[in-house]
Amino acid sequence: MYQYTEFDRSFIAERVNHYREQTTRYLDGKLSEDEFLQLRLRNGLYLQRLAPMLRVAIPYGTLSSKQLFALGKVAREYDRGYGHLSTRQNMQFNWPELAEVPDILADMAEVDLHAIQTSGSCIRNVTTDHFAGAAADETIDPRPYCEIIRQWSTAHPEFEWLPRKFKIAVTGAAEDRAAIGVHDVGLRVHRSDQGEVLFDVYAGGGLGRTPVLGALVRSELPIEHLLTYLEALMRVYNRYGRRDNKYKARIKILVRAMGVDGFRAKVDEEWAHSKNGPGTLPSAEISRVEAFFAPPNYTEQPDISDALAEQRLANPKFSQWLQHNVIEHKAPGYAAVTLSTKATGVPPGDVSDTQIDAVAQWAADYSFSEIRISHEQNFVLPHVPKQYLFTLWQKAQAQNLATANARLITDMICCPGGDYCSLANAKSIPVAEALQERFDDYDFQYDLGELNLNISGCMNACGHHHVGHIGILGVDKKGSEFYQISLGGHAGHSELAPSLGQIVGPSIPRAEVCDVIAKILQIYVDLRIADESFLGCFKRVGMAPFKERIYAPSH
Amino acid sequence: MHHLINKHNEEWQLADTQSSDQAQIEWRDAENWQPGQALKLPVDAEINAQWSQASIIGIDFPALTDGRGLSLAVLLRSRLHYAGDLRGLGAVHEDILHFMVRCGFTSFELPESRDPEVALSCIAPHKQYYQSSVVDPLNQFDRV
Repeated sequence: MYQYTEFDRSFIAERVNHYREQTTRYLDGKLSEDEFLQLRLRNGLYLQRLAPMLRVAIPYGTLSSKQLFALGKVAREYDRGYGHLSTRQNMQFNWPELAEVPDILADMAEVDLHAIQTSGSCIRNVTTDHFAGAAADETIDPRPYCEIIRQWSTAHPEFEWLPRKFKIAVTGAAEDRAAIGVHDVGLRVHRSDQGEVLFDVYAGGGLGRTPVLGALVRSELPIEHLLTYLEALMRVYNRYGRRDNKYKARIKILVRAMGVDGFRAKVDEEWAHSKNGPGTLPSAEISRVEAFFAPPNYTEQPDISDALAEQRLANPKFSQWLQHNVIEHKAPGYAAVTLSTKATGVPPGDVSDTQIDAVAQWAADYSFSEIRISHEQNFVLPHVPKQYLFTLWQKAQAQNLATANARLITDMICCPGGDYCSLANAKSIPVAEALQERFDDYDFQYDLGELNLNISGCMNACGHHHVGHIGILGVDKKGSEFYQISLGGHAGHSELAPSLGQIVGPSIPRAEVCDVIAKILQIYVDLRIADESFLGCFKRVGMAPFKERIYAPSH
Repeated sequence: MHHLINKHNEEWQLADTQSSDQAQIEWRDAENWQPGQALKLPVDAEINAQWSQASIIGIDFPALTDGRGLSLAVLLRSRLHYAGDLRGLGAVHEDILHFMVRCGFTSFELPESRDPEVALSCIAPHKQYYQSSVVDPLNQFDRV
């Protein structure tokens, strides 16, 4: 993991002091609501439907045990004993007192955490693959470059007041678990035959009310030019992005208006002035940052295949958990483990302080004190020796974190929705709960196989419904909550281009959502060939058979 | 009236707006401007090489959230190598000053409604920053 320098620490401390002073001015009436809004957003504080919400940045979803224990303490002391894992790998607290937020941030700073730029029209916390550095399908660990981007984008003088929020994601694996295609800038990092670190840069992707996949604007950008190129791109967006209508202010609208070629040419023209100038990364520095992410000290692990086989035989639930929540690791004898927050009856991503503490302790005991947060809103322990899997599973079971549903239908992504969020048109958590209850039968889930179901409570799409194999979007129809279903969305894979879901048909009232989803699943089961996945089946048969049967009059 | 903030002997200060060199600036828009005169630009101006000969350049911010003036300032400094006084005008807010300073602004017209003492107190909230900028060519990657 990256280790803060003296500079990082003093910067964060200065930022807390500055924000404390801004909060005081606001409380003293020296800053208006609108003025303070801009400042608090850039320090992670939203005012929500019921109370403020503080979003703490987890840079590229990576945390230490010590940091996670500190977050557990925040949940206990400032929240009501809960935290919420967001779809952008951050952690949110729902009930902090506005006046206490500077104290929370000071506590966070003690463990090198902050809430800088987790909201507002600026460059947001950079995200990546939650299995970075661990996954067997990875070609290059993206975290060093995420850290370089984190540093460059923190309080950038020129890009703090953009037309709209700006999200950057990086991936270095075959499967795109960071969903780079639906980010303002997506970076695919790879290595040339000569070993040079290169980036393919995609721009203008995004969800929201105008979902669009990012376009390739530059391929094979050498690492030393990463920041000067990003700076040129950001400058074009900052200068020419629309500011007259917030719904048309994201970079995707600019890329569309200029055309991909026009946008690329404008960025190149800008970059021609700064390429090789200040901001060019010295190779010694790249190596220095890379060194922070050197693999932990893996040790030789005993062959426990016989013991595992016995444990699996005696414990079918453990066996299912191994199959679904444990993935192959780069290092022999190790595995990466998903601790699912999606137990039936629990809002997706909600975790109690006790659970947070438990995960922090397990990470210390079994995973080199390292934790990840996935954009599917689960905890990940990235480097667990296989010999401890059974013990870890037993402990996770006791904390309700061992639901064996990673990547299955009940591992749904869900935004806070109308229960908490002031933007939402409809509730999303009750829909998720109803679906969890309906499809609680694990044999049924396992038979369905990999199936991402994503729910957003409004078209801002925080629940990423456009890239769910099944997407559910809450809409408001004359004051009632309705839901629009889409099929066939996917965040992308080296062998499968990302795609946006297609809308099935007219939206439906909440009471019918479970039945319609059940119909969709039945259609898939009827049409699939052998072990074809839901997505594979949909790609083959298309929308027509689904549409036909979903809206067919019942007999 | 507004408050004028500028640098004196390397220190930010509240300037005397009645002093002879500050009282009467005759701002010209780009169409009516000649070299040697004071130039006032909107945030969406496209740069012109002649502008490096302005006696002073002001950039007029329509709102505190409008970052276009920051990019324009960077272009004036880095692309045109404009070396004269660069002044923030319009919706200048005390909490944006530190970003403006790092984009090359050297003076500010702070609206009368704002408190200049607060502005001076938060003009440099950090000793150092992560990025290089037009006022500091070194970033943290160069410093370590």
